Amino acid sequence: MSRAGIDNRTAAVSSKEADLLARLRDGDEKAFESLVDRFHGTMLAVARTYVKTRPVAEDVVQDAWLGVLNGLDGFEGRSSLKTWILRILVNTAMTRGVREARSVPFSSFAADEEEGPAVDPERFRGRGDAFSGHWNGYPNDWSSLPEETLLGRETLAVVKRAIDELPAMQQRVITLRDIEGSSAEEACGALDLSSGNQRVLLHRARSHVRAALERHLDA
Amino acid sequence: MPESAEHITCQEVVELVTGYLEAALPADEMALFEQHLNFCEGCVWYVDQMRTTIATVGRISEEDVPVETRERLLMAFRGWKQS
Repeated sequence: MSRAGIDNRTAAVSSKEADLLARLRDGDEKAFESLVDRFHGTMLAVARTYVKTRPVAEDVVQDAWLGVLNGLDGFEGRSSLKTWILRILVNTAMTRGVREARSVPFSSFAADEEEGPAVDPERFRGRGDAFSGHWNGYPNDWSSLPEETLLGRETLAVVKRAIDELPAMQQRVITLRDIEGSSAEEACGALDLSSGNQRVLLHRARSHVRAALERHLDA
Repeated sequence: MPESAEHITCQEVVELVTGYLEAALPADEMALFEQHLNFCEGCVWYVDQMRTTIATVGRISEEDVPVETRERLLMAFRGWKQS
């Protein structure tokens, strides 16, 4: 293939990614290991939101990696490498999830559609009030909390539990965006969401986690 | 939001906060949001709580790749290389 052909094929990936891709296609094991280190944890976390048990999620991730290898030569760089890998993972997980559909509680799908306020309406002044819609009592200033409290293991456990409680799609979005650090665009690409939908799911997820943190920190 | 709106309430702020942090609000809503923060300490703290929440979620670390998994994947990679 001509040099121009290669450049064309990887038009949407950065030069750093193009370099990584070239090394992978050359069979560079170090390059593959760095890819595994970078994405395996995220893939496992996302897979767990599609299937019921951890061993099945591990299987899904393994199959997804095989899918990545099979697709590597044909990868055209129309999306970033990360979006492409996550997309393969999601497709693999969905196929597996469908096969396991009966074991996934229906509520985890239904709850994604549920509309709920970010903050309990009781926290705001009611309709008749001149300051309707304003805080009854201000939220606390967390910047004055001791750092050990915020960084403590207990606080982290509260956050993890709150994420576990979320409907599956919200879990996926907050995992990609706030744990893994993906961009909105990457999350939309991986999960096949519109940007508006992605934002709504992220908003509900973050609002739920904030409320859980508030109950813990202000107790 | 109606065009005549001259302000937004705290109850609206808590629903717009993600759009604000994502810089995804239309210009007029962005202006109303920022204007609200200028006079409402409670909402400044709320936005700060959201930022703290995001940072705390970000501290959840992903699991390291178990040695056996790494080995298995490397085997697959070697197999792929030869095919």
